[in-house]
Amino acid sequence: MAERADRKTWINRGVFIALAFMFIVIDLVPRDMRPPVWAAPDLLLAATLAWVARKPSYLPVLIVAAFFLMTDFLFMRPPGLWAALVVVLTEVIRGQNRDFRNMPFFVEWGTIAVGIVAITLMNRLVLAVVMLPQAPLGLTLTQMIATIVVYPVVLVIAHFVFGVTRTAPGETGSRGHLL
Amino acid sequence: MARDKPNEDYIGPVRRLLVGVLVVSLVGLFLIWRIDSPRVERFRAAAIDTVVPSFNWAMAPITGTANLISDFESYRQLRAQNQDLRRELQQMKAWKEAALQLEQENAKLLDLNNVSLDPQLTFVTGVVITDSGSPFRQSVLVNVGSRDGILDGWPTMDGIGLVGRIAGVGNETSRVMLLTDTSSRIPVTIQPSGQKAILAGDNSLNPPLEFLGDTALVRPGDRVVSSGDGGVFPADLLVGQVALGTDERLRVRLAADYQRLEFLRVLRSQPHEDIPDPNDLLGPEAEFFGPAAINPVSLQSVEVNDG
Repeated sequence: MAERADRKTWINRGVFIALAFMFIVIDLVPRDMRPPVWAAPDLLLAATLAWVARKPSYLPVLIVAAFFLMTDFLFMRPPGLWAALVVVLTEVIRGQNRDFRNMPFFVEWGTIAVGIVAITLMNRLVLAVVMLPQAPLGLTLTQMIATIVVYPVVLVIAHFVFGVTRTAPGETGSRGHLL
Repeated sequence: MARDKPNEDYIGPVRRLLVGVLVVSLVGLFLIWRIDSPRVERFRAAAIDTVVPSFNWAMAPITGTANLISDFESYRQLRAQNQDLRRELQQMKAWKEAALQLEQENAKLLDLNNVSLDPQLTFVTGVVITDSGSPFRQSVLVNVGSRDGILDGWPTMDGIGLVGRIAGVGNETSRVMLLTDTSSRIPVTIQPSGQKAILAGDNSLNPPLEFLGDTALVRPGDRVVSSGDGGVFPADLLVGQVALGTDERLRVRLAADYQRLEFLRVLRSQPHEDIPDPNDLLGPEAEFFGPAAINPVSLQSVEVNDG
């Protein structure tokens, strides 16, 4: 919660913002304009989910909404839909934060995977309902699977490089309150 | 398990309400976009116009690194490339000779026939700033916009062939929808048979030809040029060559080099004059049919005047 955020939390929020910004810029850099055969993983989504699952306080919902709405606009997606789905997914994960703290890794990965599949399907479903042109199914599936596969890698990097660790039992913040 | 949930009692419901409002407003934005797309797309163009140029400083190092890697890759194939280029140069010399002769012949014939062709097209050159950022949409952002007089729908080429058309103009940037995008549809003519078709992008490198009149007249290797039908594009811009896809459909191998699009030419496409009813060209007294209707009185008067 923003009210109880200490200095460390703020710094980590800044780190995530910088990281997300970098992911977006990497996506936008014009390299090869040939249509791809397979799609690269959605690193921004994987990082967001990893952060929310491990340290929800580092990633307030407003940052999630702002970044995904921005990518909706920048990447020529229907604005708002994907952002809304990601916000709902992160809120669900955030709500189960206490369960995530003592979950075996594979259960956590499975939960995240189910979440990613669910919002991808939901996205396609909504686009079909409002009769919008769909992205090619093969590309969507490869991107979905790639994002799920890349999640553990992002998690490891988040853990060792950015210090996004699970909250240990009895861990306290800088003012001595229980997290 | 007894868990300590501090502040849950009063922060929980308020927070849930705020998140609910957030999600509802995002979905609302999506619905507004669905209902009134042009307005939101204009907003999108304006937003990109303000945001993306400020990304330049961040993009420069990444672009540099990517170029370095691709240069290094091409470095290794230098020898093979050199040989290829030399061989191509030989062929091109022969072609150049042929082209010069044809150009002279063409000029002579045009002169003899007194033909007036389309007015010369002028162009604005822009630099590609970003691509679409997602694998699902094929478009690029160029650094020319409405301040340079760019209008929606103008065709865009690289040095050789058609690349796409302008779809969305901001003040300093505009978006070029590539021919490979799933919503790109371009009327084309296939030379030399003169068959008309629609080039329909499908997110693959070689877009298929649709609504082709007679497939028997079209062979792989035929030239594909824009047709100017419907006033969408000026005619005779090179698009590519017909090729037979692995799925037995006729596709177009695009002439533009999609691997590296760096500079794009936006052609100032003047709308040509529309003639809805050819009869009007003959003027108001065109009510007679055939030579019998020539008025003898007027002929006499002409003779009188002459005399």
